[in-house]
Amino acid sequence: MIRTQNLKKHFGSVLAVQDVSFSAADGTVTGLLGPNGAGKTTSLRMIYGLVKPDSGKIEVDGHDAVANPLAAQACLGVLPDQSGLYPRLTPREHIRYFANLQGITGDELERRMQTWLDLLDLKAMADRRVGGFSHGERTKVAMARALIHNPQNVVLDEPTNGLDVVSTRTVREVIRRLKGENRCVLFSSHVMQEVSALCDRIVVIARGRVVAEGTAEELLATTGKTSLEDAFVTLVGPQGEAA
Amino acid sequence: MNLSRMIVVARKELTDGLRDKRAIYTILFSTLFGPLFVAFMFNQLAGNERAAQEIKVPVVGKTNGPILVNWLEQQPGVEVVDGPAHPEAAVRDRSVDFVLVIEKEFAEKFRDSRPAPVQVVSDSTRQLTGAKVKRLQTLLRRFSGEIGGLRLMARGVSPMIASALKVEDIEVASAAQRAATIFNFIPLFVIAAAFSTGMQIATDATAGERERLSLEPLLINPVPRWQLVGGKWLAAAIAALVGMAATLAITAYVLSRLSLEDLGVRFHLGLPECLFLFAALSPMALVAPALQVYLACFAKTFKEAQSYMAYLLLGAMMPGLLATFYPIADKAWMRPLPLLGQYVLATEFLGGKTPSALALIAAAVVALLVVALFLWLATRLFYSEKIIFGR
Repeated sequence: MIRTQNLKKHFGSVLAVQDVSFSAADGTVTGLLGPNGAGKTTSLRMIYGLVKPDSGKIEVDGHDAVANPLAAQACLGVLPDQSGLYPRLTPREHIRYFANLQGITGDELERRMQTWLDLLDLKAMADRRVGGFSHGERTKVAMARALIHNPQNVVLDEPTNGLDVVSTRTVREVIRRLKGENRCVLFSSHVMQEVSALCDRIVVIARGRVVAEGTAEELLATTGKTSLEDAFVTLVGPQGEAA
Repeated sequence: MNLSRMIVVARKELTDGLRDKRAIYTILFSTLFGPLFVAFMFNQLAGNERAAQEIKVPVVGKTNGPILVNWLEQQPGVEVVDGPAHPEAAVRDRSVDFVLVIEKEFAEKFRDSRPAPVQVVSDSTRQLTGAKVKRLQTLLRRFSGEIGGLRLMARGVSPMIASALKVEDIEVASAAQRAATIFNFIPLFVIAAAFSTGMQIATDATAGERERLSLEPLLINPVPRWQLVGGKWLAAAIAALVGMAATLAITAYVLSRLSLEDLGVRFHLGLPECLFLFAALSPMALVAPALQVYLACFAKTFKEAQSYMAYLLLGAMMPGLLATFYPIADKAWMRPLPLLGQYVLATEFLGGKTPSALALIAAAVVALLVVALFLWLATRLFYSEKIIFGR
């Protein structure tokens, strides 16, 4: 369960996030939809404790993420917008590193490692250095490493950005599986189709504010449009660079 | 205090770092360069000593002064050979080190008890032959003095009258002493090893992490940031300690293969000496990576960080380099300072005095405080949004 309330953040003179409040429930896939530069990544970074909000509240499974970021981080699995892998390490070593940092070791780690390598189809390349991996392969390694500790809440920042069809499909399957396990999945995207295909609830962000929130049907009803794309364009306004 | 996360980070950084070819080359180069340089210097010194004792004197115009030639041949370690046809050209093109020319009127003037002309052709810009030329000139002065004395005695005058001064040469820079200045290179290279062997890991784990954009995912793990910084430092410090120990061990081995006794060197770099030097200098293997981790955080790329590291290494070597020209004055204010304190301790030990355990401990404690300070500063940087995301 992730809840944010009146988040605000500026960088220098730029107000990146003005007022963001939403909640993402367990067993639900919540999509953060907005044009580039709307404040999606900054909002997510505040949730996973790397950016301190100027004001506002964040709660992750009841932990105050602003006052106690480590407690919030312990309930989170995060795939940031850059996979950020170590070219000289193998997928297995990446997963083991983050698992150890989470306090998972020994047989438990090996068991989970096998599960994720299978699930993400990484087995054949598990002991090759990631230096030469494709973008899709890298994303999958980053995903396995972020989810090895079975977090209750999963945050994915544009996970399918730039992926080919097969990799996109794998990522979608993982998201559905997480939902099936009653986890809270929050993911951001600027791609309409992605959000409508996966999300139970959609939070639309534009210019640092939440402009609408609800199911796809609710968004259509509020805007009075027949296609989600039209609804999106209406919601983010003419300045938004809709995808 | 649970340090397990710090060890997890250190293990990863060491695995990652040792797969980096650049790191391996740097470690090899920096641990081998010092010992080989010291060995080279000793060899040069030994070579010069031997060369000055045994000289080959090319003489032009042997028949003009057989008395001088005979006298020279009787001196120990002197061999007279035929000189080249064009002495000056031969010295200039370095086919010979120097030439003694006995001129035609030598015999006639010698017979008449007038100064008999000889020439010593040499090139003063060639430093390596200086000792040989000096030896020849000393021999010639002695010959001149002996003959002059004999002539005065033949005339019933005491040769003492002709000597207004009694000059005694006391050479301070004896071979043994010059050998001691070479010993001062050892702490220099050991400290340089502390700065250069951990350097790649320290930069790759910080600036490299920023460059690869892997800092963000790392910081999302619920681990206190001081443990992340501490782990990165620990990995670099382990590499620096190993580099330092290797440099000392290789130096000791190389020196054991050289016969330093011939140079009048009594100091022996054995296991107890190595252990003492390691104890005195190892705090630098903790300080250097702490400084490097902190500084490299400011760099956006590995390359940028390396340019900072080069200046740091140069700065660290500066006191040692200066010390080989001017001996480090053991001022009280130097002892508690990191780096200078370590140099002073090592130089003192190599000079034959063993510093007290208290002095060692005091220097180590100060060094640890410096480590703590820089790790604290680096941890603060790990909280900066500019450092985490700034590109």
